[in-house]
Amino acid sequence: MTSAVEPGRPGHPALEAAPATGRAIGRAIRRVRPRARRRESGLLILVGLILLLGSISLGATQRESAGQKVAWLPSDTSQLLVYLGALLAAHLALVVTGRRADQILLPTVGLLGGISLLLMERLPQSLVSQSLLGRTFGLASIQLGWLLLSLAVITIAAITVRSDAWLRRYKYTWAAVGIGLLLLTFLFGSEVNGALLTIQVGPFSGQPTELIKVILVIFLAGYLSEFRPLLVEASMRLGPLRLPPVPYLLPMLAMWAIALGIVVVQRDLGAALLFFAVFLALMYIATARLSYVILGLVMFVVGSFIAYQLFSTVRDRVDIWINPFSDASGKGYQVVQSLYAFGRGGIMGTGLGAGLPLVGGRLPIPAIHTDFPFAALGEELGLIGVVAILGLYLVLIERGLRIAAMAADDFRSLLAAGLTLVVGVQAFIIAAGNLKLIPLTGVTLPFISYGGSSLLANGVVVGLLLALSDRGVEPPPPRRARAR
Amino acid sequence: MDPYVVAIWIVRIAFLAGLYLFMFGVTRLLLRDLRAAARDPGGALARLVVIGSEVAEPPRGTVFGLDAVATIGRDVNNSIVVEDEFASAEHATLTFRGRAWYVQDLASTNGTFVNGQRIEGLSAVTYGDELQVGQVRFRFERSRR
Repeated sequence: MTSAVEPGRPGHPALEAAPATGRAIGRAIRRVRPRARRRESGLLILVGLILLLGSISLGATQRESAGQKVAWLPSDTSQLLVYLGALLAAHLALVVTGRRADQILLPTVGLLGGISLLLMERLPQSLVSQSLLGRTFGLASIQLGWLLLSLAVITIAAITVRSDAWLRRYKYTWAAVGIGLLLLTFLFGSEVNGALLTIQVGPFSGQPTELIKVILVIFLAGYLSEFRPLLVEASMRLGPLRLPPVPYLLPMLAMWAIALGIVVVQRDLGAALLFFAVFLALMYIATARLSYVILGLVMFVVGSFIAYQLFSTVRDRVDIWINPFSDASGKGYQVVQSLYAFGRGGIMGTGLGAGLPLVGGRLPIPAIHTDFPFAALGEELGLIGVVAILGLYLVLIERGLRIAAMAADDFRSLLAAGLTLVVGVQAFIIAAGNLKLIPLTGVTLPFISYGGSSLLANGVVVGLLLALSDRGVEPPPPRRARAR
Repeated sequence: MDPYVVAIWIVRIAFLAGLYLFMFGVTRLLLRDLRAAARDPGGALARLVVIGSEVAEPPRGTVFGLDAVATIGRDVNNSIVVEDEFASAEHATLTFRGRAWYVQDLASTNGTFVNGQRIEGLSAVTYGDELQVGQVRFRFERSRR
């Protein structure tokens, strides 16, 4: 410990004797002004009550099927209470540090995560098991761990990110990291259900595409905010379309090629669709030109046609989508069972814990916890519950786009819009896939599906949105002179 | 009817009702937020914030709301008056043309600078750019809406 006292600065002798580190901490504490977040507290109390009701409902149903008739005791609440405690801790951390960030995002995400926890408690725990420190953890315990980590990521990002320079300045570095992760998956990925998705590092496996989607948005926001004036000033005509000069079309071609590459090498249709859709949406937000969207859609149709002709995976998915009942016990099995689940649920649903009749002693949908949680919720909460859950995603999207609209400059605006759309489009792709509105592609339902990569990546998204919505963050830096 | 079954049903419906209560509460907050934003008189398309000034008028920290056309100069008829002997009477204009903002130097004596570079005639600007007229530096920002 050094007692570095600035010379020539009179002060209280006791204070001067105090170690510099102590004073720095003292200054930091004095600078922090707690600020109540009443809307968030109110909504979080409501979230807690709703989740406890859900737990009671689940417990009563489970005990009924076990032959016990004790109605008013919830199911095993210890995990739910831990989760609610973590939500409260996240809220208190934001209050104590006095952040003026958005107050609706955290409760909404908290409710989605809580529903996820209830669903995972309700599914057979043996779906996933992991041994750690001599103990074996089941589905719900592992999901709880990931949810807590995700909340931690949200809170840390919301509190510590006070400047976006590290995001905007190194956009090509971020692009390189993203492409590197993609190449790693190409080279070392292991195959799950015919798709190269996961990388195994020791006992941990992760899906890099979840992280890549965040990095993609960071890069696109940086790139588009820098080249927006050039992209807007159009000059080339192609029939009725006004297009920018060819060099500025190259990123679109590159993006298209990367998306197609993901389809070809990884067989990961969902990620390709997500990346390309978010790219087009951001392009439109940045330039407000329909010609880009039309061009992108034409390229999408061409790419889909090529992929359909060349790859059996793509053909299978489309055939299943058009008529899953033609091979109801084979390739179309999961989609057919998903439709049955929605049918059993009807309007009111069977109630938490009362759905999912086993087929031949097995779960009807093997990937229910990753790809089909929406079908499980459709069965147990019915049309009413599923509409409410879609409504929660809409609330997330509304908040994100409001944050984008209020942002101080183009980069922040595009970043907020892109992060929001990544979550929103992903929720749409998988929910629509489960409902057979579009061909099924294996992406996760944000904040509900089981899986650490997905929860952590979406935690980063929400944490950054909270940080961007904070009015106390430092103003954006002036741009460097454009090289012309 | 078995009271236990009824109890389970009540809890189930209460859970679903709770979800909608949450949606109702959030929607009310969102509407209030949107109405407040709509009432906000700051109907300007963009803002110019003075981030550095060597002269009395405008002082540092001043915020100008911009309409589709704004003129900058020493003359009192400009929408943004810069009382600086290094600024011309009619120095520059800032215009919003459909999709993008442009700044035009009106053949001023000492020039208009965007991000430290002197511009010739018309030049596109984006939010976050730094403009300099005379000894006054502005930052061009989105309107807070």
